[in-house]
Parts: sequence; structure tokens; C-alpha cells
Amino acid sequence: MASETAGRDDVERFLIAEARLLDERRFDEWEALFTDDATYWVPIDPERASPGGISIIHDDRARLHERVYRLTKTPVLDQNPASRTIRLVSNVEVDAAPAPGELTARSAQLITEMRPGGPGQAGLSAPRWFAARCEYRLRRANGSLKIAMKKVTLLNSDEPHYNLSFIP
Amino acid sequence: MAITERPTQSLADLVMDDPREFRIHGTVYTDPAVFETEMDRVFAAHWVYVGHTSELPATGDYKTVLVGGQPLIVSRHEDGQLYALYNRCRHRGAVVCRQERGHSNFFRCRYHNWVYANNGDLIGMAQSTGYPDEFPREEYGLVRVPRLQSYRGLLFANLAGDGPSLEEHLAPVRRYIDYWLGRSPMEDVEVVLPPHRYEYPGNWKLQAENGYDGYHGNYVHLSWQRVLQLSKEGTVDDIQQYRQAGCTRGLANGHGVLERPGSLNPNASWTARMMERYPEYAQAMHARFGDPEIMEISARRNIFVFPNLYLFDTHIRIIVPKAPDRTEVQLYVYNLQGVPERINESRLRGHERFYGPAGFGAPDDIEVFTEVQTGVHAQGHQWNLLNRGQHRERFEGGEWIGHTTDEPPQRALYRQWRRAMAGD
Repeated sequence: MASETAGRDDVERFLIAEARLLDERRFDEWEALFTDDATYWVPIDPERASPGGISIIHDDRARLHERVYRLTKTPVLDQNPASRTIRLVSNVEVDAAPAPGELTARSAQLITEMRPGGPGQAGLSAPRWFAARCEYRLRRANGSLKIAMKKVTLLNSDEPHYNLSFIP
Repeated sequence: MAITERPTQSLADLVMDDPREFRIHGTVYTDPAVFETEMDRVFAAHWVYVGHTSELPATGDYKTVLVGGQPLIVSRHEDGQLYALYNRCRHRGAVVCRQERGHSNFFRCRYHNWVYANNGDLIGMAQSTGYPDEFPREEYGLVRVPRLQSYRGLLFANLAGDGPSLEEHLAPVRRYIDYWLGRSPMEDVEVVLPPHRYEYPGNWKLQAENGYDGYHGNYVHLSWQRVLQLSKEGTVDDIQQYRQAGCTRGLANGHGVLERPGSLNPNASWTARMMERYPEYAQAMHARFGDPEIMEISARRNIFVFPNLYLFDTHIRIIVPKAPDRTEVQLYVYNLQGVPERINESRLRGHERFYGPAGFGAPDDIEVFTEVQTGVHAQGHQWNLLNRGQHRERFEGGEWIGHTTDEPPQRALYRQWRRAMAGD
């Protein structure tokens, strides 16, 4: 029981640190949290257990790198002005490892997002809220945790969305 | 030339079909009266795309849609036929279906339990002794939309009982729809659910004007071009050069096309590349089409069908106006039938990369729609220009054909819009 609790605290600290990297737009450091075979998945259909058809995001490691490269190195319009975000991470649960050296974690997150703008600018200056259930497969490597899989199921995943390019 | 006079006569005057300076008044995007009239004269008086038949393969399948703001059900009845029904109980007006899509043997109004068959027939009323025996149930079914018709799987509804037939409406764009289908050697597509959905705080016509706009790509999508360069799929220079090739077409009835050149050379077209990579695909295509047809099929086109449909290489796009400054867009990806699975898989993954609310391209487009929506409130000048390439376009075979960065399709859109809004 004691070791499980330590595992949970460990994971919670890790997830909070991950959220902070995204809030602070330290996308390169965030990307470095992922294993080389990692996937990052934001489904449209909240009931679907595995990807089929299309998703809001379904990145393998190469596409995740493109996503970060796009945000950090290219002249994007949809993140200029950039999103401000505050991510609340809660309800962390850690489950038995499906594979040696791995953990499964679940959490709830609430992202408040806003892009600042001048007066009257459509689409700017309006806070938006995104509640989501998150699932992770985490792997211990060299004493630290890495993300092998991250799945974010938005409460309103199958509703129409304005830009979600801030990394939900 | 500064043109600041305000149009005073009819809403049709919001489009100035001037031979040198085609222009539209900014209020086409903002005025609630314009929007109300559009719902009536554009959306309730034209063939409006409501879905693909592959979305509703089985008896009892249904989807709900908004056409010009009106809730409709499209449903497959046990007679095998599709029906478009007004989603409004004949008794006290509640909707009889609230889900986006599903499967049901009947539609039941939850208010007083009136029950309707999938073709709209009234088949049950709670405590029916409250109505006389001679109550004519057959007259109180869900009202059927007067016209619902498919063209090769593309399903269109028309809330007006009269006016041009679907054949007449589609005639100017039909050959491009056929070429679009021709990438499938079975000339058929199957929609893959769920769709991408996005919504932006801007007018619906901003999306309509943009899907075949060949002018914005090098600026709005420079970021995308840099991603492609990172992945060694082409340098920004190569891509920008490619974007100069092809043409734009403004068609009759408001339709339009952006077209990249076709080619039988695997280095120069997607279709030829797939045919080279997958011999079984090449064999099926050659069995169905001759080289001149494959040449046409291999031209990559963004095809707009007035007023709410786009056909893209990866998806079918529906534009849903919700308010003057609010629009939903639905992107239904589809599989090409009769092609190797890996072709469709890579098409879907490619779609996901660019499109949707977190794609690497579409959100940049949406961003500029909101910028126009804000900008047109400034009244220093009141007209937006759509005159690019008017001096160099040519009229040929009933089409206005222009440079790939020119605006013949946008002019075609607003000519039809102008006719509709005038009430002609």
C-alpha cells in the first residue's frame, strides 16, 4: 500500500509538471517527456476505445514532433496571438502496470484557455473551458517517468470546436 | 477609386457585378436581415447537400440536419427509400428526434407520445379517443420536404417544390463531380464517421469563398509549407511553385473549382503516383478508364457546389450557417471504393494532419475568417474586392477560367447569390 501511494504521488507530481510545461509553452521540453514510440490521441468519438476513422489529434512520435515544430518554429496564425492556458489536474489514479516498467494513470483535467486581443476582435479575448478525462501509459526509464501514450477525451469531443491548436 | 456609397435598393445591390471592379458590400457578412433573407432565398430555395447515402445504409438509419436553420430528419424507411422530413410534431411542434444520427424504428414526440414511421406517417397518438374516429391521420404525418434526390450518392434536399431540377442545378459542375468520383475505379465513395466539426465566429460565406481560393495559400499556410519542408515532402519553394499551376473556374449556378493540373507522371499527380505504387490500383483504373479520362481524374480539385457543399480529395465538406457571425463546418472523410486499403489509410492520416480543429492548416484558415468578420465593421470603405484577375480571365465553354490565384469562382458564387437575393 505504501509503495502504491508513493507511485501515485510520483505520478501526480509528474502530471502537474507536464501541465505546467504546456501552460508555460515550453513545448520542446514537453515533447521530451514522450518515449520514442509514443502516441498522443484526442478522439472525436468519446466511446471509441481504439482509433478508427479520424481523430481531432492522433499523433505518432513523428507527427508529435511536427506539431511542436509547427508551434515553435513556423509562422502559425492560429496561435498568434498565443493561447494562455491554466490547466487543473485532478482525480489522479494509478493502476497496475500492464507491462513491466509501465504504469497506467488516469486523471481529470480542466483547461481554461484564452487568446488576448484588441477590442472587438472576433474569436479573441473570450475564455473557453475544456474539461477532459486523460489516460496515460507511463514508463520508467533511468529513474524518471516518460509518456508512452496520452489520451485526452474532451467532454465535448464530438461537438464543433473553434481552434484547438493550443494542445488540449 | 474609393466607393463608399451605401446601397439603398434591394439586397441584390450588395453585389456589384462591375466588369472592372467586382465587389461585395461588407454587410453581406454581418447584417441579420441579409442572413434571414439568405435562409429563405438561398437555403430554402436551392438544392442543399444533406449527406451521403453511405451514411444511411440500413432501414431505420437516420441523421438530423439543419437546412437554412430548419431542423430536418433524413431517414431510411422500410421501403428502402430515403425521406427528408421536417423535424416538428404536427401536434404542438416539438422535435421528434434530438440525436445527431442513429437507428430507430419510429420517431416519437416525447410531449404527448405521437408516433411517426420513418417515412413520416403518423402511426400512433396517445389516448386517441380524444380525437374523433374520422380524424384523418394520413394528413398529419411529419411534413415531407418536397424534394430529396441523390446524385451518385450525394444527397440533396430542396425545401422548394418548384424551381430547377437537381440535374439542372448540377449540370455546370457535374463533370467535375464525376472526375472526383473517378479516383475510385468503382466510381463510389463511402463516408467514414465521425466527421471533423469546427465552428467559427464568422459568416458562412467566408468558408465558401476560401475553399477554392488559390491566392491565400502561400501566406496563410506558410506554416504548413514549413512543416512539409521539415518532413522532406517538398521545399517551400517547390510548394509555392506548385501553387501557381492550374486554374480557377467560375461556373454557372454559383459553383466553382480550384484545379491543379492532372498528369500521368507519378512525380506530378497523386493518382499517377498511387497507380505506380499499387499495380492492382493501376489495373483497376485502366480497366475502367482510358488515359485521357485518367488525366482529368488525376487533376486535384476543390469543388464547390452552391450553396453549402465542397468536395475535397480527402473529404466532403458541409457548411452550416447558424447566425450571421456563426458557422459550423463538417468534414466527412471518405474511403475511395475499390482501392487498396493502404491508400485510404494514408488519405485519412493525411487529412487528419491538415484539417480539423487541431490540424496544421485548417485552423489558420478559420483564423482569417474571424479577421474579416471583425474588419468589415470598419466603415471607412464598405466594399470588399473580388476583382482579382478580371482583366485576364477568359470565358470558355460556359465557364469563367482564370489564373490559379484569381477570383472567378468567388464571382460565380456571388452572381448566383445576387440572383437569389433579388428574388429572381
